Amino acid sequence: MRGIHIDHNIKKVLLKFLTYGTLVAIMIFTLVPFAWLLVSSLKDQTTLFRGNPTWMIEKVSISGYRWIINKDIGGNILIPLENSLVVSILSSITTMCFAVSAGYAVGRYRFPGISVFLIILFLAQILQGPIIMIPWYRIASFLRLIDTRLILIIVYGTITIPISTIMMSGFFKTIPKELEEAAYIDGCTKLGTLFRIVLPITTPGIVATSILSFIYAWNDYQYALILTSSLRSKTVQVLINDLIQAMGAINWPGLLAGGVIVTLPVVILFALIQKYIVDGLTSGAVKG
Amino acid sequence: MGFSQVYPIFETVRLSLTNTHLVRRSSDFIGIQNYITLLFEDVHFWSILRNSILFVFAPIFTQFLVAVPAALVLNQRIIFRGLWRGLIMVPWVMPVVIVGLMLKWILDSNYGLVNYYLRVIGIITKNINWFGDQKLVYLTIILASTWKGFAYPTVMILAGLKGISVELYESAKIDGASGIQNFFYITLPMLRPILLVSGVVTLITGWTKFEMIYVLTSGGPGFATMTLPIYMYINSFGSFRLGLGAAIAAISTTIVMLLAFFYWKYLMSKD
Repeated sequence: MRGIHIDHNIKKVLLKFLTYGTLVAIMIFTLVPFAWLLVSSLKDQTTLFRGNPTWMIEKVSISGYRWIINKDIGGNILIPLENSLVVSILSSITTMCFAVSAGYAVGRYRFPGISVFLIILFLAQILQGPIIMIPWYRIASFLRLIDTRLILIIVYGTITIPISTIMMSGFFKTIPKELEEAAYIDGCTKLGTLFRIVLPITTPGIVATSILSFIYAWNDYQYALILTSSLRSKTVQVLINDLIQAMGAINWPGLLAGGVIVTLPVVILFALIQKYIVDGLTSGAVKG
Repeated sequence: MGFSQVYPIFETVRLSLTNTHLVRRSSDFIGIQNYITLLFEDVHFWSILRNSILFVFAPIFTQFLVAVPAALVLNQRIIFRGLWRGLIMVPWVMPVVIVGLMLKWILDSNYGLVNYYLRVIGIITKNINWFGDQKLVYLTIILASTWKGFAYPTVMILAGLKGISVELYESAKIDGASGIQNFFYITLPMLRPILLVSGVVTLITGWTKFEMIYVLTSGGPGFATMTLPIYMYINSFGSFRLGLGAAIAAISTTIVMLLAFFYWKYLMSKD
């Protein structure tokens, strides 16, 4: 009897050991590259280029940050930063206008052709990248929108609206129908129900979805690469890769600082909505 | 919205049958000449196709290899569980250009942290050039794609684990099943639909986004890591041959749809 008891305890400890061991391994794998980017961006030239690198920052140096911001002799990141912000915010707002209304319709009402609509949404996910890049370039040059922020907002909209609609319909489905019916019986109009009952409940979902659209637009590289070229509309992603191509190994501190500046906004925004993502992603992909 | 998805397909197919040039503005119908050029005359085409398939399927496998244990651990009652769940999403939200920059820095052949650690523990004596070696660069790209993408299947599997009822495990416990048996006879089969869906999504996003490999190697050294989407980009916007680029895009999209279809069929047939 006693032997079995001890055996059970050993098993428990072993399981714990295994669980936390795996956790540590996965966290190291996930976070070390990012942490190394952060730490390196704060080092000065001499400590950065050492044969045996260390995690210690002997003297905090912001020379990299100074360089990437500098307009004349540096990376000149501020204008592309503004471009990225404007494009991402506007495309996120546009996306939400469509996604909330279409998502509500898909989530609430059964209407003929809904499966066709969902298939189109799914196809929209597949038909991205190479197949639409050349046509978009031609549309943009036909409309004289090459190298403008507007064309980016339009292109990102066509990509984020479908996925956001799927996500929003998932959020709307979680609201019990009875709640709306009760409001309706109490004399609330359909529109009134939508604005007073449905939208307040789904606010977290709306915030999460709009932040995801923002992140999509902010992070995109491939469309911005073909559609923008000058500082008028160039996004931070295009700028950073241009700088990598142009000076690569020469100016690591400046590039690493740029990397941190471009990454921190999305990481912070994502931290705010992180707990809704599991629900959003899965309700879209599995149930939708 | 239908317009924005359907029109580009027809436009791409139409352009692929012409010799449209980005700058010269010529645009004559030349039939299937572009396809013949690619399939029979281009010495690089088949190795590029092979690369594309490898770089899409290998990461699916390696991502699951990380994602399944990660999800199992994050589903346990561990301290700061919410924090860890959030932190594994960092690679997923990071812009791909910065991922490229970050990996180039940590894998740098002179000052890279990875080379240093490998040297310290004695696996290598001389620094490795992770991007310059024709063979090693494959490993680098698969590792990079795994790092960038594993969070998505992890979250999907986590959601799937929540859906498995506790009673299943309890009745298995009464029958005297071990933890390992539980995993192979309950957990894994119950996760099948999730693995299926996230596999297809990974396949599609892996194929349609050329950025990861483009920022890491631009298809090099030489043509070693060239994929169809990068080849399309180089032909269309590097050497301005839009017609040829459109043909590559058309072939590429046909293949990804076929792959998704067969992957789906294959997993369904295992029932």
